[in-house]
Amino acid sequence: MQITVNGTSHDLDVAGHETLLGVLRDRLSLTGTKLSCGRGECGACTVLMKTGGAPRRAVYSCLTLAAASDGATITTIEGLGTPTMHPLQEAFIAHDAVQCGFCTPGQILAATALLDENASPSEADIRAALSGNLCRCGTYPKIVLAVQEAARRMASGG
Amino acid sequence: MADKRFVATKVEVEGREETRIVEMPEFEPAPWTADTRMDVVGQCVPRVDALEKVTGRAVYTADTARPGMLYAQIVRASIAHGRVKTLDLAAALEIPGVRAVLLREEVDGIRYDGGQLFDQTIRFAGQPLAAVCAETQEAANRGARAAIVRVETKPHAVSSEAALRPNAPKVPSQGNTSKNSPRVTARGDVDAAIAAADVVVRREYRTPGALHSAMEPHGAVAEWLGDQLTVWESTQGIFNTRSDLAEAFGLKLTQVRVIKEYMGGGFGAKNGAGAPTYVAAALARKTKLPVRCVNHREGEQVDSGNRPGTTQRVTLAAARDGTLTAIAMDAEIAMGVGGWFAGPGKIYNELYECPNVRTTETFVYTHMGAMASFRAPGHVEGAFGLECAMDALARDLAIDPLELRRKNYAAHDQEKNRRYSSKRLDECYRLGAERFGWTAFSAAAEPRMKYSAASAARIDRSSDEHRDIRRDAPAENGRFKRGKGMSSISWGAGGGPPAYATVRLNPDGTVDVLTGSQDLGTGARTVFAQIAAEALGANVHDVRAIIGDTERLPYTGNSWGSQTTASVGPAVRMAAEDARRKLFDAASAMLDASHDALEARQSIVRVRGKPDRAMTFAEIGDKLGDVMIIGQGSRGPNPDHTALFSFGAQFAEVEVDTETGRVRVLRIVAAHDSGRIINPRLAESQLEGGILQGLGFALFEERVLDESLGLPLNPTMHDYKIPTLSDLPAIEAFFVPGVDTVANHTGAKGLAEPPIIGTAPAIANAVADAIGVEVLELPLTPWRVLAALERRS
Repeated sequence: MQITVNGTSHDLDVAGHETLLGVLRDRLSLTGTKLSCGRGECGACTVLMKTGGAPRRAVYSCLTLAAASDGATITTIEGLGTPTMHPLQEAFIAHDAVQCGFCTPGQILAATALLDENASPSEADIRAALSGNLCRCGTYPKIVLAVQEAARRMASGG
Repeated sequence: MADKRFVATKVEVEGREETRIVEMPEFEPAPWTADTRMDVVGQCVPRVDALEKVTGRAVYTADTARPGMLYAQIVRASIAHGRVKTLDLAAALEIPGVRAVLLREEVDGIRYDGGQLFDQTIRFAGQPLAAVCAETQEAANRGARAAIVRVETKPHAVSSEAALRPNAPKVPSQGNTSKNSPRVTARGDVDAAIAAADVVVRREYRTPGALHSAMEPHGAVAEWLGDQLTVWESTQGIFNTRSDLAEAFGLKLTQVRVIKEYMGGGFGAKNGAGAPTYVAAALARKTKLPVRCVNHREGEQVDSGNRPGTTQRVTLAAARDGTLTAIAMDAEIAMGVGGWFAGPGKIYNELYECPNVRTTETFVYTHMGAMASFRAPGHVEGAFGLECAMDALARDLAIDPLELRRKNYAAHDQEKNRRYSSKRLDECYRLGAERFGWTAFSAAAEPRMKYSAASAARIDRSSDEHRDIRRDAPAENGRFKRGKGMSSISWGAGGGPPAYATVRLNPDGTVDVLTGSQDLGTGARTVFAQIAAEALGANVHDVRAIIGDTERLPYTGNSWGSQTTASVGPAVRMAAEDARRKLFDAASAMLDASHDALEARQSIVRVRGKPDRAMTFAEIGDKLGDVMIIGQGSRGPNPDHTALFSFGAQFAEVEVDTETGRVRVLRIVAAHDSGRIINPRLAESQLEGGILQGLGFALFEERVLDESLGLPLNPTMHDYKIPTLSDLPAIEAFFVPGVDTVANHTGAKGLAEPPIIGTAPAIANAVADAIGVEVLELPLTPWRVLAALERRS
């Protein structure tokens, strides 16, 4: 299979049951994508996936088969906002929307997908879009603030 | 010890007071008072490791990879009680990639949960029995699943009720209650006070087993170089983990190195070596290759600790004016197979002024995973019972709940009859009530509760009665009912010795703070950098805190019990003061000024009042060349006969859907007193996080075991519900002003645990206010709320 991750194309032989998460973490050493539940319940493994002409969307990489990602373009946290930081990353720092940080990559990528789709989300939109990304430290209030600020900054071209 | 260099001091950790011997520091800096000019401490400095976390560069234990590393998986028991007859891993070894297995006889003498690791006597579902390691995690998982375990089952007891029945199956052979049970703490004459009281309230409360559910499971990577063991561990206690490993493998402390760089949460469950640690180290020794062992989610949920479930029978007695005359509580605590004795009793002994108090705690062993500290262990459970009973008493007395609490304000530590270092709970009440818009029941424009005068007469109620507490209120129409409730919080959070730190000024003017602590996500790194920058006069952005390595860093204790800032902070400050003293010694010659004439800010040393005579740290460092400025610091003793507590008050407003029973928390106001706040934004994050975990405990979180099979029914993130973003209420969390110069010379006390203590009782009290009936068991799930409503009608 061929997969483009953060702008780099990879040709890989994968077994039928291998997950996208396994490929990212174990083969490509992109450990910013986290394994926490392994069954699509927590969102720590969220990445952005673009297939064909469709816009990129957030997927749980633990529930996505690697083979089903053939030809896809994947963005992980390592590929977001390079060379300069994405406004979401800056806003997560500014608002302290980070405690232990284990869920943070997934939160930021899920928020990126939201802002792709909806440049000025309401608080309800943010709550709905990120409710599949668990945070046990309880950074939720700060995440809402960070996503709102990033949306404002992106809208004003900042 | 004529010169008293070593003295005894008291330290309270997780509700337990310990006596420790401490070496008096060479000097103790004068306390930072409320008037001390502070440039860095008290500022919202961005979290120093946030950049690594938002870019995915932070490497957690579960991400750590070593050359040639193998992956392990633990084989776990699938019954609650019994014995392994045969354990066959031949099929596992046939799986491509599987390299080795680890059996009971290979881990002889390694203790786990108070027993033997891989004990073939099974005492809970999920107990580790063996392990498999392979070239890939997937092969290791397959190997573990291929284990054929033949067992002989025995009857089990997975609740304290079942374990206390006559002829109940024995969990440990010596019996199902701990040696110290019942643990009785008593003062005054409780029975006489209850008999003589104007009003008596009796209730029975239940709290569930709750799971820490850290996003990063327990895990370790182990690597041997000859007889030197290095372990990367997701832990709150690197030094505890080191001594656990040294003991398990018969090593000297110099042969074990424990490293913790980043960790994905702990919340009390990661205070030493766990099954994955021992498995990784034993398999690495056997295979002569590095091994990573990280719990899969189900293993994490069944075998990494829990907040034990409790049953609490509470009696409060009071005079008609609301003065508490007696508090009695007896409880059973369902420990699982082991753990320590964190009971709900302590908060009953300490929260209010009351001459007659008795708590009786029976710690019950059950066929479940062992309990572990979980953010304010004991107090979270106890606060639910005590603070809900206080509201029941307030209703019976027709006194506003806040007034009742003020009326019984403890001006000194009731339990040990000693002063507080400082206490601003009254300010928490005042400012919290103001921000929340709390109004006394009697003064409410639209009375939420009405009482006849008779309700203040002596009332003695059966414990399990779910009463209509709004029987005199006009019938309220409408499906959605709103209510308000509040609660009080106290928690021993003064920290203490031992803790050591080194501060090193590099030749380019940058600063390293070295201390062997841990940052669970609390912000400890940032707090240490701020304290060091303040004391040294450095620019905080030039200060780096290096933590989490037993081999290269000075000792500090575990990051538990809201201890870190108040324990390690003073050591860091002293080390930085020591470094500044040496820096000024060097600078006074260069600037031709006396030591006393110098001041340092923003990494510049100036002669006071002479703006043109100044040198940057880098210029001084450049002149010094390779001569290093190194400061040493240690944590001194705590003040004698003094209670070092943090406090808080929380206020909740809820909306209850009386058709579905669903409770929605609309807002929480939390006012806390933890002395000086080093970083207000990070501290606010801790409050919000504690409140959200408290909200989960109030509404959703409940480990469920099947009584007949003894098996956990919800060991997943989907079925064990923690709050999501869509459950988020409006939270206004803040600290009342003030520093605690008696507690320690930074003026700071702990703050991470207090916020979880008050949230569930505030919510439960608000639900009772909303629907006019008390729900006495957590979590307040729709079916429990509906059942309570049905009982009312």
